Amino acid sequence: MSNQQTEKVIEQKVEKSPSGLSIFWKEILRDKLALVSLLFLVLTTIAVFGVSILLDKDEIVRVDPFAIYEPPSELFLLGTDQGGRDIFGQLIIGTRNSLSVGILVTIMSGFIGIVFGVVSGYFGGHVDNVMMRIVDFFMVLPNIMIIIVFVTIVPKYSVMTFSLVMTAFLWMGIARLIRSRALQEKELDYVQASRTLGSSHMKIIFTQVLPNIMSLIVVTMTLNLAANIGIESGLSFLGFGFPQDTPSLGTLLSYATNPTTLEQRWWIWVPAAILILVLMLAVRNVGEALKRAADARQRRAS
Amino acid sequence: MSKSITGKLFFVLMLALFLVLAACGGDDEGNEEAGGGSEEGSEESEGSEGGEEDSEGSSEEETDPEDKIYDIENFPNQTSNEEDPIDGGHLNFGLVSDTVFEGTLQYNFYSGDPDSQILQFIDEAMLGMDTDHTYNNEGPATFEANEEEGSITFEIKDGVNWHDGEPVTAEDWVYSYEVIGHPDYTGVRYGTVGFTLIEGMEEYHNGEADEISGIEIHDEKSFTINYERLTPSLTSGGIWTYAMPKHVFEDIPVADMAESDPVRENPIGMGPFKVDSIVPGESVELTANEDYWDGEPNLDGVTVKVVNPNVVAQELETGGVDVVDAFPADQYPENSNMENVEWLGDVAGSYSYIGFKLGDWNAEENRVNYKPDEMKMGDVELRRAMWYAVDNNGVGENFYNGLRWNATTLITPWHENFHDESIETPTYDADEANRILDEAGYEDTNGDGMRETPDGEELTINFASMSGGESAEPIANYYMQQWEQVGLDVQLVDGRLLEFNQFYDRVGQTGEDDPAIDIYAGAWSVGSDVDPTGLYGPTQIFNFPRYESEENTELLEDGISEEAFDQEYRKEVYSDWQELMVEEIPVFPTLYRSEIYPANERVTNYDITRYAIEWQDVGVTQEEPVTAE
Repeated sequence: MSNQQTEKVIEQKVEKSPSGLSIFWKEILRDKLALVSLLFLVLTTIAVFGVSILLDKDEIVRVDPFAIYEPPSELFLLGTDQGGRDIFGQLIIGTRNSLSVGILVTIMSGFIGIVFGVVSGYFGGHVDNVMMRIVDFFMVLPNIMIIIVFVTIVPKYSVMTFSLVMTAFLWMGIARLIRSRALQEKELDYVQASRTLGSSHMKIIFTQVLPNIMSLIVVTMTLNLAANIGIESGLSFLGFGFPQDTPSLGTLLSYATNPTTLEQRWWIWVPAAILILVLMLAVRNVGEALKRAADARQRRAS
Repeated sequence: MSKSITGKLFFVLMLALFLVLAACGGDDEGNEEAGGGSEEGSEESEGSEGGEEDSEGSSEEETDPEDKIYDIENFPNQTSNEEDPIDGGHLNFGLVSDTVFEGTLQYNFYSGDPDSQILQFIDEAMLGMDTDHTYNNEGPATFEANEEEGSITFEIKDGVNWHDGEPVTAEDWVYSYEVIGHPDYTGVRYGTVGFTLIEGMEEYHNGEADEISGIEIHDEKSFTINYERLTPSLTSGGIWTYAMPKHVFEDIPVADMAESDPVRENPIGMGPFKVDSIVPGESVELTANEDYWDGEPNLDGVTVKVVNPNVVAQELETGGVDVVDAFPADQYPENSNMENVEWLGDVAGSYSYIGFKLGDWNAEENRVNYKPDEMKMGDVELRRAMWYAVDNNGVGENFYNGLRWNATTLITPWHENFHDESIETPTYDADEANRILDEAGYEDTNGDGMRETPDGEELTINFASMSGGESAEPIANYYMQQWEQVGLDVQLVDGRLLEFNQFYDRVGQTGEDDPAIDIYAGAWSVGSDVDPTGLYGPTQIFNFPRYESEENTELLEDGISEEAFDQEYRKEVYSDWQELMVEEIPVFPTLYRSEIYPANERVTNYDITRYAIEWQDVGVTQEEPVTAE
């Protein structure tokens, strides 16, 4: 939407209850930081996915012993690592991989968490009790350690299996959140009314309750995205993330554990570090703006 | 696994290290394995071994700082600090490893190089060794061979005591033989000529006799071993020269010894230092053994601690460690101008290699089960092509700045008397590799760009490589990509590098070979005796390729026969053996290595020329380490 339209909307002083989407939009447009963050995210994502189609991954992970630790030059925009591999290419593909995992994990864990939470909250009682105990069980497990163990014993893993492993231990937070919201929601009149009219539980849960808590879901998942990118980078940094030949931001960062690289070869790790920082901040900014939009008490006065 | 040390790669990967063996650490080695020992090592860290050759003089090949290709011949062998050591000095010894040390602190039981690095301080071989790798009489005991009777008589010098004050007796030394030869023995030392040639040893080993009939104890300090025949291997490392305190161990069943308290927690030896405390896997505090037979050590104490290869340079720079067992060669160029450290170096008795699994281990008969027809890598032409396909000089110069270089045969230049330079071995030639593969019938029949087997099946070669050191990963990938260039599809086992201990377990150090591994990149560091039986003999568990052939067995036997006392003859036998290995290629060597020994400038009397560093002589000339400014 253009600014003009926005202003117009403001002038109208919101006569009818605005849709969730337009509230999000308005909030983001009003918060310049969030707007810039969103633009950055979109552009980065498009650039990274676009450019990585053009790049030949095999070429980038190709070891070239004659170009070890080259500083940035015209040939290698960001220099090379200890295997003579182009850092720029690794950065692009690494960002794509990190983003892919972040998004995949967010979507998968979000899906499981939402279904689990909403069903649990909606039915309440014994169902809720049992389901929440399952959540509790998963929550007391030391997630990161278990993920590391899985990654170590699964013989072959790809972006997909890695995401699945992470998902298996990251869906509980969202399930709890959604469940508490669903608990409140089911007491509301519209649910009772719908029930009285003979709607099935399924229909009520997925077509009536769920849309009503959508704003919460969008906000939570956005914030989770930042966290998941961080977790992936952290695991790769420790050496338990992607396989050896798959670049990742965390892997690039881990080269900095060599003190010489840390001190003298900034081109290997600084770009990755900055990218991780900026990406996570951007996602978070957008997420915070959405959060405000979703909560009338925090929304800025219009 | 990793224990660590050494090197790496090999291919990438590495290396491996060696474990055991012998060589490890330099000191020990020697004796250890007799057979040729070898041990595995670890990689990463470079190896350790002591070097021996000297490099002193050489300066013909000046290194050119510009392209930074170094030549190991230009490194000194001993520290130049000539001041007198101070009293009460304390030395910090860095054990370069990216994993913990196992802590099997007994020569008869240890298997990893890191453990041997600790053992060199607390225990000692009973016989000294010359720089040409033969025993002399300067150690704690003397020996005299009686060639007519095929026996060797040993006599322990007076004043040689265990750390607890008990004298080291002939019985202690013989006890080592009884433990290692025991049917319940769990370690890896048995099997070399130092044991198998003893009269009556086989019966004892099989449980048919209660004692070894070929060993006679004369009195408290002397005994004679009767061998079936004498071989040059015995006096160049074959004799097992480590005694074991019988009064400490006699109540422990042999099967439980490796896990027992005097091995793990309160190790006892007769070396220049005693164990004060052990932090398992991390560090060992040692204090001087004032009762040491060769005089009180110059140092009051030594701290041995594990240092990750990634930070070893910083530790040296800040004085956190004074000396290390082995400095990662790939980090030398960037650290060569460190101010507070003097760099020593020497050719190492170790090599990296690519091994091909040609069979598996027959645990019942304790021998290899060589079955090339069933194995993926059974075709020697395929193996030869893989050798031609890799550019080892490129790896050596670019990843190691010349501190590792293209290897030719399986006997390293460290054994300068036996290394045969005239043998022509495959060197990087991708066209030749392609030609060999085409001729052998490995062609791309389904158009995917990768060759299939002559039977038309897809050929994917699973490659096990070790982690450790930052160049491990790129080098492994580099080898894989060179094979890919000639159309061979080589993939990492599990898609990643394997940790040292896991690597050797899966390659077969316990006899349970992982069938998922077709080829692997390992490294051996060899013992003082040139005899390679310990690594390539048909009954050796370290024969990881599981290779066996009549000609090989015959040559290995000839090399340790009585005729082999004639150096020329022995040399010829080993030349033939080196050539046979180039023809049969159960493994092919990739890189020879050098060892770089940094020493803080306060360290004096530190001489790596000797087969074993004489730790009792080493001292420091000031309280605090010199640090870089």
